[in-house]
Amino acid sequence: MTFQTNSDRDCASAWEAMPWVLQGSAPREQGQALMSHLVHCEECRAEFARQSRLQLAMSLPSDIPLDANVGLKHLLGRLDAPAPRETPGRWRAGWLTRALVAAVLIQALGIGVLGMKLWSEGSLPRYRTLSEATRPAATGSIRVVPDASMKLADWDALLHGLGLQVVGGPNDVGAYTVVPRDSTSTGPHVLQQLRAAHGIRLAEPVTSTP
Amino acid sequence: MNDADTDADATDRMLLQRMSTGDRAALAVLYRGYHGRLCRFLSRLTRRPDIIEEVINDCFWIAWQKAGNFHGDSRVSTWIMGIAYRCGLKALRQHGDEPVAEDALPENRVPAHNPDEDRELRDWLGKGLVHLSADQRVVVELVYGVGHSLDDVAAIMQCPVGTVKARLFHARVKLRNVLPSLAGNSPMREENAP
Repeated sequence: MTFQTNSDRDCASAWEAMPWVLQGSAPREQGQALMSHLVHCEECRAEFARQSRLQLAMSLPSDIPLDANVGLKHLLGRLDAPAPRETPGRWRAGWLTRALVAAVLIQALGIGVLGMKLWSEGSLPRYRTLSEATRPAATGSIRVVPDASMKLADWDALLHGLGLQVVGGPNDVGAYTVVPRDSTSTGPHVLQQLRAAHGIRLAEPVTSTP
Repeated sequence: MNDADTDADATDRMLLQRMSTGDRAALAVLYRGYHGRLCRFLSRLTRRPDIIEEVINDCFWIAWQKAGNFHGDSRVSTWIMGIAYRCGLKALRQHGDEPVAEDALPENRVPAHNPDEDRELRDWLGKGLVHLSADQRVVVELVYGVGHSLDDVAAIMQCPVGTVKARLFHARVKLRNVLPSLAGNSPMREENAP
């Protein structure tokens, strides 16, 4: 500090005492010790002057114009209000919570339904790897090679007349795979009719194991 | 606590007791008695008059509701300032913190003893307060402006006394570093006093 006769401890004590001495709440001995110290310590004297001015500035009335009577009128009006002001906030919070819970429940329900649907579709995967063998043909499938000159209308009429529908093809050699439309197995007569039909070059039943 | 503080606290307790029975006249007396100091206290947190009035009314709304629950563990002023502080923090969370901006001072402010002198003093103070955090400004206000003890401030801010001491210490160091030195000078009002 400023003078060698003043120890750092005296300055620290003076620093501690200043607000309470200014308040008037410090013990008399503490106030006297501070004043004695200020006589010898210029730096603490400057600090005490700054503190005194700070207290003076802090005690100035608020510079924000607010009318107490207007505020009191608002408060009394609030007391007369039928419901406290917090109520709408709580209601909004409760409504929001219920909406969120409902959304979560709907999502859970949807996930459950989707899971059940996937479960019921069986365990066969919907994809096939390149190394996997060709999916086995359905029972009663027939591989048919129509003549290139056969008209589309004739082809459609033939299939329709025999109760067949195309499920595959044409492959590299122009063969189509047809199956019965009503899932019943094709009898030998269907195969014979196909072979006898005009414009059909080949009709052979498909066997699952070559 | 001096005799004046003791008398004021006794009056406040009586008003609170009457408020607990639904006496609105007692509420009005207490409201007017605290409006000025609450206004200044809250102005250390925000400069918006609408928020300050909202916080003061929130504070007295709670005081009205809880008047019957006041058991006298502290001074009434400590209790009310504590409510105002918490309402102020809540308002700041809702509206956003705003630093003290002296350029936002209204022209039609409260008439002062000496307007020029007050303006200079406020400017001087404003240069210091902008460097403090909101909690530091509150501690400085409660100690220097209102005159509360460390224990009172700790009760108001609901924190340990050590925390209050630390905030006060750091606030004083900052103010010492930024406010112009007045070495050897007594406060201006004393110099100019007749």
